[in-house]
Amino acid sequence: MAGYNLERLNFLVVDDNKHMRALVKTILHALGSKNVHEAADGADAFKELRHFPADIIICDWNMSPLDGMDFVRLVRTGKDSPNPFVPIIMLTGHTEMSRVVEARDAGVHEFLAKPISAKGLFSRVRAIIDRPRAFVRAGMYFGPDRRRRDMDYKGMERRKVKKELQQAPVIDPHRDENASGGLSQAEVEALLR
Amino acid sequence: MSQGDDSEPEFITPPTNIKSKVSITPDGVDLEALEKAEQVIAGLQDSYLDWVEEDLRNIQAAYDKAVADAANRKAYFDEIFRISHDVKGQGGSFDYPLMTIIGNHLCRFLESVETPKESDLQVIKLHIDSLRVVITQRMAGDGGAVGTKLVAGIEAVLTKVGK
Repeated sequence: MAGYNLERLNFLVVDDNKHMRALVKTILHALGSKNVHEAADGADAFKELRHFPADIIICDWNMSPLDGMDFVRLVRTGKDSPNPFVPIIMLTGHTEMSRVVEARDAGVHEFLAKPISAKGLFSRVRAIIDRPRAFVRAGMYFGPDRRRRDMDYKGMERRKVKKELQQAPVIDPHRDENASGGLSQAEVEALLR
Repeated sequence: MSQGDDSEPEFITPPTNIKSKVSITPDGVDLEALEKAEQVIAGLQDSYLDWVEEDLRNIQAAYDKAVADAANRKAYFDEIFRISHDVKGQGGSFDYPLMTIIGNHLCRFLESVETPKESDLQVIKLHIDSLRVVITQRMAGDGGAVGTKLVAGIEAVLTKVGK
């Protein structure tokens, strides 16, 4: 049998628990990945992204000082983000629907509840490979299209005009920094020093 | 590029498509590879038992401080929550789902505590002692009849205290 070869993909694993990082790294290596970098919190991860071209980030929610949500918002909308488009898989023990929606609205691609398994993690990686998603900037949101292409959207139709797909880069350094909904730029920069 | 509004979203194609870095090969990830990866995780069970010992020591230490230092009890409860959240998130990966179940009960209980009371300590101790039993007795899987009783006992106590 044959399947996706993950050898050339760069993964960044972000978790403040070294045992969880070891578990995720072990799974990725077992699935054939060669390039797996680690970071212990969102601030470290953002620094790592400056010199490591991650193809997929696997990120925990509960971390300090910069937690998973702050990190995702920073990657998506920070004015000096090295890669606003990188796919992000959020790992968390929080499985309430409100939390899932919060993660989605921050710009997370996939969500995986702990405890994790190899099959669970690979299913999320495969979803990212199989279903590349356009990014959307709409109001305060910037991130992957939240409407899955294979789902029949039942909500109120607010997309009156669907513009032609545009090409990146798209980050506007003059846009309203508060629109990110995360930490202020000053707070973020203080954490990253 | 200006920021859009709800009526005029901008759709942007990401500059890179990771599919271009992924090929389908005979040694790629298929069902057999996934089974092997699950076996690799199972092979980490001994390491997990060392890791969780550290968690159990730390959660016991936080509990002892919560008992001794009533003025700062909430902070120690937060520390117990943080550790039990980690325990909950790991147990099931290593065939210790009881650690996930009990850790989850402890997290939910601690979330419900606004102002710590003396009686809360007994409930927390029951959870910590139960986590300890699961590990010392190596109660992998569902833990059999003892595991069922252990969880039922915790759930009965939570019902009694209205949680």
